[in-house]
Amino acid sequence: MGHAKLDLLQGTLDLMVLQTLASMGPLHGYGIARRIEQASGDEVLLNQGTIYAALVRLQQRGWISAEWGTSDNNRKAKFYSITKRGRKQLAEDAAYWQRLSSVMDRVLALPEVEEKP
Amino acid sequence: MIDRLRQSILRFFSLFRRTRLDRDLDAELASHLQMQIEDHLSVGMTPAEARRVAFIKLGGLEQTKESHRYSRGIPLLEGLLQDLRFALRSLARNRGLAFVSIFALALGMGATTVMFSVVYNVFFDPLPYKNFNRYVVFGIQNLASVGGWKGRNFFSPEEVRAFREQNHVFEEVIVHNGYRLLYDDGKFVRHWPRGEEVTTNTFEFLGVPPLLGRTFSEEDGRPAAPPVFIMNYRLWQDKFAADPKILNTVFILDGKPRILIGIMPRRFNFFGASFWLPMNLSQAGGSLLGRLKPGVSVQTAGADLDAIAHALQKTYRSEMLPLPDKFAIVPQTLLDSFIGGFRKTLYALFAAVLLLLLIACSNVANLLLLRATVRDREIAMRAALGASRARLVRQLLSESFVLAAFASAAGCVLAYFALKVVVALIPAGALPEEVVIRMNTPILFAVVGLAVLTAVLCGLAPVLHVMSADLQSRLAGSGKNVEGHFRHGRMRAALVVGEVALSIVLLIGAGLLMRSFFILTHADLGFDPQNVLYFRLNLPSAYHTDVDVTRQKKNALTRQLLDRLRALPGVTSVSESMLEPPIQYDWSDTIIPGKPHSERWETHFEVCSEGYFQILGLPLLHGRLLSEDDMNAQRHVMVVNETFSRQYFPGEDPIGHQVKLQVLDRPFLDAPHDTYFEIVGITGDYKTRDDQSRSWRAFPQVYIPYSVQGFSWRTYMARTVANPKILLKNIEQEVRANDSSAEIESSGTLAGSLQEFYQRPQFELFTLGAFAVVGLLLVVIGIFSVVAYTVSRQTHELGIRIALGAERTDILGMVFTNSLRIIASGVVIGLLASYGFSRFLTSEISGISVSDPWTYGLVTVVVVVVGLLACYFPARRATRVDPMIALRYE
Repeated sequence: MGHAKLDLLQGTLDLMVLQTLASMGPLHGYGIARRIEQASGDEVLLNQGTIYAALVRLQQRGWISAEWGTSDNNRKAKFYSITKRGRKQLAEDAAYWQRLSSVMDRVLALPEVEEKP
Repeated sequence: MIDRLRQSILRFFSLFRRTRLDRDLDAELASHLQMQIEDHLSVGMTPAEARRVAFIKLGGLEQTKESHRYSRGIPLLEGLLQDLRFALRSLARNRGLAFVSIFALALGMGATTVMFSVVYNVFFDPLPYKNFNRYVVFGIQNLASVGGWKGRNFFSPEEVRAFREQNHVFEEVIVHNGYRLLYDDGKFVRHWPRGEEVTTNTFEFLGVPPLLGRTFSEEDGRPAAPPVFIMNYRLWQDKFAADPKILNTVFILDGKPRILIGIMPRRFNFFGASFWLPMNLSQAGGSLLGRLKPGVSVQTAGADLDAIAHALQKTYRSEMLPLPDKFAIVPQTLLDSFIGGFRKTLYALFAAVLLLLLIACSNVANLLLLRATVRDREIAMRAALGASRARLVRQLLSESFVLAAFASAAGCVLAYFALKVVVALIPAGALPEEVVIRMNTPILFAVVGLAVLTAVLCGLAPVLHVMSADLQSRLAGSGKNVEGHFRHGRMRAALVVGEVALSIVLLIGAGLLMRSFFILTHADLGFDPQNVLYFRLNLPSAYHTDVDVTRQKKNALTRQLLDRLRALPGVTSVSESMLEPPIQYDWSDTIIPGKPHSERWETHFEVCSEGYFQILGLPLLHGRLLSEDDMNAQRHVMVVNETFSRQYFPGEDPIGHQVKLQVLDRPFLDAPHDTYFEIVGITGDYKTRDDQSRSWRAFPQVYIPYSVQGFSWRTYMARTVANPKILLKNIEQEVRANDSSAEIESSGTLAGSLQEFYQRPQFELFTLGAFAVVGLLLVVIGIFSVVAYTVSRQTHELGIRIALGAERTDILGMVFTNSLRIIASGVVIGLLASYGFSRFLTSEISGISVSDPWTYGLVTVVVVVVGLLACYFPARRATRVDPMIALRYE
């Protein structure tokens, strides 16, 4: 279903969304997008629209739930919050990412050998 | 894992909640954009700028929606549903085309489904018995070129024991024997329809449980066991009104009590028996049926049994069932022994129906291709707007899938009714009674497969069209320029050529069958079969005691009965014989002193009364006929026919010569053994059935007095002035009055038995004929639609021609020449193909050559005429083109 190529990217965005919701509590889509942009120091060029694809995916898997509510400035918005299963998944994924990144660090630290002419 | 499953389910259901989900998303995105814009305004952007940046940050509203849909649903399926919806809509816009296509395909698929149902039920699921495809029957074939008998499949107990104990190929063997018995219901004593004596392991072997009661156990075969029997479903229905209370009651059979222990279900008809009696396996003689061990071939089994029989030959001596000097064991699967030649017929018809389906497919392909050409610009436009080729192909294929789906549904309905007709037409006896022909799940699966195949076949032409063409130039052109689809015109023409060719093959097949059938049914048999009644008697056991008594009693009965019959009003002549002509006959190898021969001289012989010649109207050519005196004196005299005289006595006068019929030497027959008959006369020929070629032929034939023997069946014939069936009641009375214990076993008319004989060729003719007619109809549709389309495309050109002074005849000529070229190519190809294919019909056809020029000629004329008629109407429209309108027509 077209997953294969996008797996890494999807996984990354999904993880970011879960972490944001875990630390910030219920948020609407715009809020999540803003938080991720801020947290990444605007280093991630985020197409905000892709958030919504990630949100529907996470929701279908039962890791987040959604509810219509009212925002700070009295605007109707859909608020997402992380579920119990979502937290479990977050813990697993975060541990995986940390292991992966530490392995990547070590591998990339290997010295390069000069090519012989 | 569960999360994934949950996701898949939700994705699937999202397909049905599109509107709600989309509305939800719209609201959510609107609020997102609004918040973003507000944030932007708060940092001092102009309203326009704030809006623009918000959209850019989101990455486009439609793209976001699309990626959202993509994640939440199943994109492939959604695309497919969209295609199907679109296909339905576009077909609904072209109802005429859709209707014609579905009709054509439904005819093809319906016919295929019917034939497939027959073939499937006959070859894959014919018998309800456990592992029936491993059942083998076998017989002994006498390899000597002369001798009394050709073969037998009845074995003595000694032979059975040898086969049973020494074979290495069978898991198990059963023995069975035909059996006739008298049932005494307290008032009347009557014969039941033929039953079987079977070894006690038979029912377990066949693996079918009884409907009521139990089947035989080994105990039932013991000599001292209480006598029991099992009844078949039909006898139970017909004679006992399906009364379950008769189970475990006592019946008086052949004068002795027997207990009914079981009743078999409807679809159990082992060897056509109406009842079964138990037989001890260790002493049984009769016909053998073995179940092969898995993986053993019929040939291997034959070799094994052959070796056993040849080893046995050294010690085996039997008066009744001798083993000939040179013989072979000939094995056959049970199914082959049942179905035999009908297999070939069914395969031929199945091949024919596939041709029909091909015609239907190319017809629909053509129509779809027409549409694809008309839609050139639409398709080019889609391509220009970014539809990939794959997407366009999918779109076109989904249209043909929709057509095929409708057609297969319609085809199934059609097949359901057609199957009833076909089943009713299948000649009696061509299939074993256990065969139930009906539509079932595997057949419906096959229809679905067929629909897919058909869809691909039909969709192929338009798809090739899309794949091949340069879309750009089509978009640029008007979509109507003539040379633009010259190439596709050729493809369409090729499809019509193919249709015509295929239908020629079908028509010639049907034509040959029809001619052959006509010849068969209108042959001069040498006698008039109308108004001749025949019947056979069932003689009570009192007749079958001592050999001499039997013969005397039978002869007396014959004489008395013939006198009584002759005295009946409306009867012009009567006779007694062994069998009734022309389907039934017996034959014997023939020995004539001074005329040695190495091949078999197969002479048909009839043991008859003096009235036989009169009833058939056989002319006396020389000498004298058999007389009443010959009968009374039991003289060893013989009348021969013209063919006999010509074949065995070329250029000689056979009268006075001695002839021996070797078949009469069989020790168990009450017949004059080693006796020579003196030829006293020559009659004209009549024709009998030729087994080899399904036709009538005059064989060497001889007639001897019935009174010299006591073995033959007594068949009586009476020629009447009016419908002979009316007399049957009177005749029955006469038979009873003559001997109250005798009863008529079977009766009919000669014309009726001929009708029965014609059933098989009639079935083939009807089925193939129906296919051929449907094929021709499809060709008419094909030619009509192509010509009509071409004419409508050429309106512009025709208008110019007419404006420039072309005559109506010129225009007609132009259209006809084009069509004629297509039809002629199809005809030529079809004739050549028929010449190749007709070989397969050789065994079904007689009286004419399979390349009969009359049939070929007539079919050609029919196809050309029908083809030209099909293009006459569109052509006539071409001549009515108003040049003013045509020139503006763009």
